[in-house]
Amino acid sequence: MAYSLKVCHLYGDLMNTYGDLGNILVLKYLANKMGVELTSEVISLDQKFDPDKYDIVVFGGGQDFEQSIISKDIQSKKQALTDFIEDNGSVVAICGGYQLLGHYYIGANGEKLMGIGALDHYTDKQKDHRFIGNVVIENEETGEKYHGFENHQGITFLGKGERPLGKVLEGHGNNGQDKTEGAIYKNVYCTYFHGPILARNNDIAKHVLVNALKRKYPDADLEPQEELKVGATF
Amino acid sequence: MSLKSSIATAAGKSSYWFLHTFFKGGSSLPGKITKRLDPEILATLGRDYDVIVITGTNGKTLTTALTVQVLKEKYDNILTNPTGSNMEQGIITTFLHAPKSKGKRPLAVLEVDEANVIMVTKYIKPKAFVFTNIFRDQMDRYGEIYTTYNKILNGVALAPNATIIANGDAPIFHSKQLPNPIVYYGFDNQKDGDIKATPNTDGVLCPQCQHVLHYHFISYSNLGKYFCPNCGFERPELNFALNKISELTPKSSTFEIDGEPIKIGIGGVYNIYNALAAYSVGRFMGVSPAQTKKAFEKGKRIFGRQEEINVDGKQVTLILVKNPVGLNQVIDMISTDKDPFTFIGLLNANYADGIDTSWIWDGDFERLPKMNIKQFITGGERYKDITYRLQVAGVDPSKHLVEPDLDKVVEMIPQAPTKKVYILATYTAMLHLRKVFAAKGFIKGGMG
Repeated sequence: MAYSLKVCHLYGDLMNTYGDLGNILVLKYLANKMGVELTSEVISLDQKFDPDKYDIVVFGGGQDFEQSIISKDIQSKKQALTDFIEDNGSVVAICGGYQLLGHYYIGANGEKLMGIGALDHYTDKQKDHRFIGNVVIENEETGEKYHGFENHQGITFLGKGERPLGKVLEGHGNNGQDKTEGAIYKNVYCTYFHGPILARNNDIAKHVLVNALKRKYPDADLEPQEELKVGATF
Repeated sequence: MSLKSSIATAAGKSSYWFLHTFFKGGSSLPGKITKRLDPEILATLGRDYDVIVITGTNGKTLTTALTVQVLKEKYDNILTNPTGSNMEQGIITTFLHAPKSKGKRPLAVLEVDEANVIMVTKYIKPKAFVFTNIFRDQMDRYGEIYTTYNKILNGVALAPNATIIANGDAPIFHSKQLPNPIVYYGFDNQKDGDIKATPNTDGVLCPQCQHVLHYHFISYSNLGKYFCPNCGFERPELNFALNKISELTPKSSTFEIDGEPIKIGIGGVYNIYNALAAYSVGRFMGVSPAQTKKAFEKGKRIFGRQEEINVDGKQVTLILVKNPVGLNQVIDMISTDKDPFTFIGLLNANYADGIDTSWIWDGDFERLPKMNIKQFITGGERYKDITYRLQVAGVDPSKHLVEPDLDKVVEMIPQAPTKKVYILATYTAMLHLRKVFAAKGFIKGGMG
């Protein structure tokens, strides 16, 4: 194939609760249609993240216990991940992955657990309540609608340089207050959506792939890739 | 029995009779009435029984049925609860319905929902608990695996003398020190290697040092002969072990437990675990290996969640799927079929199905294109999701039909290009299909 992309499935063996593997499968499937060979590998505890090796990072959601362990381990990857993001690397971060890219989140027992602060959001916790149910949002730049399923106790507030992935039309989103869902910063897409998000919303998968291709092949004519017709399952 | 208990019992029993006579059903209402009149009724009703509680995410129903079958070889009077009656009220109803016991102290083998273990142990001190496994299960309704295990342990804490008969291949059952005596069963049928679980497996962190566990071998999901290369934590010594799997087909499994060759009339590696659990309970209760073997082999098809239906000459197997581990076991089981077949996948997303359909992406549908499948049909309310899932898995579009309407799916079955048809359906899709099958006279009754 003419192009190739490499995905880092960050903590893919631990942050995998909501069909997150589906995001990788769908990236592979659509990449193939674009004439792109996409490979992925898991980088987990005690392993080094090399920012020069990857084009896309997928960081899924996990259970409280696993996430608390990762909160400690990810500090050793903080600089490398921040460099990758600042260098316009593509990232898809879901639920716990989203929270850990921000400053901190509040764990199951009320303890404050650190993220890496690569993005400027933070996450508090609702008391004895979760947002559970279907969500529909609208990307206000592209007009695209995204569908997903949310199940989170954390409430996230966006910070400097971040804009929401979309405006909440149905459901709760980041915090149930400001009608925002998820975050976009440079080529980073964050969300609370299960679905998995890229499977239900191929548009986002396409943006991620095209962004990654543009970064890796700045002089290539990527019009056919950008023109690829993709679907959605809603 | 106190006056209060007597009145409550009488009220419950008559409501049971009434419901069964006039409405052909009612498995929890009598329990509800009885409990209202005497909140501690279970203590009175269960007092004369030796109770065995079977709990866990997958395999409760079959393990309970197999355990009853095994124990029948030695015990005459065994009470058990029908599937679906595994919460407190259903269990009270089960005791109300029990025939009067004569002679020896009767046994009660009860399938109990994970969160309801404590509702039982508050009033009854079981002789043994059986832990089958804990997997991620419809996360919108249940919690994380550790939360689920803690719920079970809260119940077990009220019965510290009961023996725990646990799946030794599940790391979570070796994660906490408990005062109870513990017996482990597991698989010992492969040579030792050094592997890790696939990335979409839950519960692979060492409970002692939080490093990722390795395995000498894996039977499925996160079950196997695990060890931690960092701290030395490892699978406990097994008291009862499966030594060999000789043959697997969708309808039968042949294997050896403690050297004894055994055959059961159901497919799927997960069902071998259920049989091994039943065997272990039998041994714990003094049933000999030879008696257990006999019990398994004369066993009828007691496997309600997997039944074969004749639809205009097609041999249809309808299987409930509800979580990724169960789904992968079913995919594994149908892969053992030597004949060509038609694959039907039906996805609904009502409350009873789990409203979050993400889990289908953890199903190993990538194996389907390699099987001898002549036609694929996808349908149900969320047909778009299951259809796209199969597309991404590499299923040939020219063999793939899509039909959202379940009634129409039933009409397509007689036109299937193969004699064998496997239908994997979520809960409400399965109920819908059963209703249609019943209306057309393919099965009796609408409910399982």
